Amino acid sequence: MITEQGRILESLLAGNFICQISDDDGWRFLKTTGNSEKIETQLNLLNRTLATGADGDVFYAAYQTLGDNERKILSAQFQEVSSHLLPLVEWLLLVQQASGSDVPVSQGSAIRLTELQASIEDTPAFAEQLAKISHYRLFGSTSSSADGQLKQVFKRLTDLGYVLKPNQEKQIFIATGKIEYLFEVIKFIDETEALSLAEQAESAVQQASLL
Amino acid sequence: MNQNLHQSGVTLLNALSKHADLIMQVYLSGRVDESKVSQNVIEKLIKLGVFWRPDADSEIRLKNAVRQLLETSMHDERTRQVDANIGSALASLKTLAQHYKEALHQGRFTESQAHLSDLTEHVYALTESLANNVRVLFSRISNEFGYVSSIDAKIRENELAQQQVSELLKQLELFRFDELSELAASNRELRHLLVVTLQLSFSQVIQELSIVQANLLELLGRFREFKGRTRLLKGFVLHMEQKPDFEPVNYCNLSQIPMLFNQANSAIKPAAADVFRAEHELVLQQLVSAIKSVRRNDYSAHPERAAQTINVEQQSSVEFAEDKLKSAVEDYFCHVIDTGERITALEYHSEHNLEFDTEAWIYQVIGGYQGLTMEEQGFFAIDQTGEPHPVYNGNYIIRDVELGLR
Repeated sequence: MITEQGRILESLLAGNFICQISDDDGWRFLKTTGNSEKIETQLNLLNRTLATGADGDVFYAAYQTLGDNERKILSAQFQEVSSHLLPLVEWLLLVQQASGSDVPVSQGSAIRLTELQASIEDTPAFAEQLAKISHYRLFGSTSSSADGQLKQVFKRLTDLGYVLKPNQEKQIFIATGKIEYLFEVIKFIDETEALSLAEQAESAVQQASLL
Repeated sequence: MNQNLHQSGVTLLNALSKHADLIMQVYLSGRVDESKVSQNVIEKLIKLGVFWRPDADSEIRLKNAVRQLLETSMHDERTRQVDANIGSALASLKTLAQHYKEALHQGRFTESQAHLSDLTEHVYALTESLANNVRVLFSRISNEFGYVSSIDAKIRENELAQQQVSELLKQLELFRFDELSELAASNRELRHLLVVTLQLSFSQVIQELSIVQANLLELLGRFREFKGRTRLLKGFVLHMEQKPDFEPVNYCNLSQIPMLFNQANSAIKPAAADVFRAEHELVLQQLVSAIKSVRRNDYSAHPERAAQTINVEQQSSVEFAEDKLKSAVEDYFCHVIDTGERITALEYHSEHNLEFDTEAWIYQVIGGYQGLTMEEQGFFAIDQTGEPHPVYNGNYIIRDVELGLR
C-alpha cells in the first residue's frame, strides 16, 4: 500500500498542481509543518523542489538547479503558458459576465454548465464570444453549436487542470487552485512589464461613462 | 390606575390582533394604502399609536415601536439598524440607582422596590440592545452582504458596518465600571445589576465585536481583491486588443527564473507490470481475461465469397420452361377428359412428340395429379407401372403412369 507521502510525491512528480480542491488530503498534508520538509528532501534527489503559489493555495514541483536542459524545458513551457493566457482570460470574463456576477471565478467557484449554457444561448453577444474563445487553438473546437463549443472548452480545461468535475454524471465544474496560479501569472506579467492593466480597465470604464 | 393601564393595554393588543393582516401588510410594504382600508380603522389605529402620519400630506406609516417589536420577534434583519445610544442609557441607570439608594436610605421601601424593578428593566434592556446590535452586524457578515448584489455596494455596506462597529466601541468606552461599582457600593442587588450583569454582557459584546471587526476587514480585503481581479482581466483583454502582437518577455531566458514559472516537467511515467510477482497474479489474470481478441476475417482472401452479379434473366426462363411443362400436363389431363380413354403418360409423350425428358414428364404428371383437390382427384384414376428396386428394399421404380376417368 502506498503511503500518503508517496502518493503526494508521485502526484507532484507527475507535474500536478495540488490545491484544496484537487486534492484536499494532499494539500492538508503539505500544509502541516514538517511534512513539506520530508517531501522536499525526496524531491531534491530528483533535482526538484517543492514550490508554492498563490499565497500557499497551490503546491507544485519546481527544478532545484537549472541547467541548460531545464532552461529549454521551462522556456518551451513559458511559451505555451503565455499563448494560453488570452483564451483563458477571455473565458474567465465570459463565465463571470454570463453568470451575471461581478465576482471573478476563483478557487472553489462552482460553474453549472447548464445554467451557463442557457445564459449564453439567450444572449447573442455571449454566444459570439464563446464561438471566438472555443476556436482558439488551446480549445480547438470545430463545433458550430454553443453546446458543443462549451463542452469542448470545459473538456480542455479539465484536461489542463483548471477545473474539475467532482461528479461524472452532473455537469458541474469546480475551479481549482490552478486558476489562482493563472491570476498570479497575469499579475506577474502586469508588474514586470509595467502594463498597469487595472488602470487601463479603470480608465476604459470612465471613458465609457463619459460617452 | 393599574386597572386602567391593564385595560388599555388589552385594548391595544386586541386591536393588533384584529388588524393583524393590515399591520403585516404595512410592515412589508412600508405604507398604508388608504383607499383600501376604511377610514375608521385607520383613525382607531392612529389613536392607539400603531400608525402615525409624519406630515400632514405624507402617507401613514407604522410606528417604529411596533416595527421593532415585529423585527425582534421575527428575527427579520433586513431593515434593523444599529442603535447605540449607550451613553444616555448609562446615565439613566445611574440616576435610577441613586433614586433607589435614596429611597432605601430614607426607609421608603415600596418606592425603592419600584425603582429597583425599573432599574432591572433598564439594565436588561441595555444588555439586550447590545446583544442585538452585535447580532445585526454578524448577520450582515455571515451572508457577506448578500442583500446587495454588486461588489461596489458590498464595499460600501462593509464600510458602513465598520463605522458602526467603531461607533459601538466608542460608546462602550463610556462604561466605567469603577464608577458603577462605587455607586453600587455594598448593596447586593445593585452590585448584581450594575457590576455583574453589565460586565458580563460588556465582555461578551467586546469579544464578539472584535471578531466582527476582524471579519469585516477580511471581507473588505476579499471584495477589493475581487474588484482588482476583474479589473486585471479586463485590462488584459483591453491591452491585447490594443497591442495584438504583445508577448511577454520569455522570463525563462533570464539568468534568474522567477519561481512562478519554474515548473518541473513530469518525471514519472507509468510503471510496467511485473509478471513474476505472485501477489499481483490475481489482478494480472483479471486484466488478461478482460482482453478481447478481435479476429476480423480477411474477405479479400476468398475470391469465391466476393459479391457476384446474379443473372435474373436466366431464372425467369427456367420458370418459363416449368410453365410449359405444367401446361403440357394440363393438356394431357384435358385430353383424358375429352376422349375419355385411358392413356399412359409415355404414350401421350410420344404421341405429341413432347421434347421434355421422360422422367421429368412422369414426375410432373404425378405432381399434377397430387396437386389437384381431393374432389378433382376423385374423377381420375391413376395407375403406376413399375417394379420394386432389385437391391434396395422398399424402393419402387415407376416406369410409367396411366391416367383414365373413373
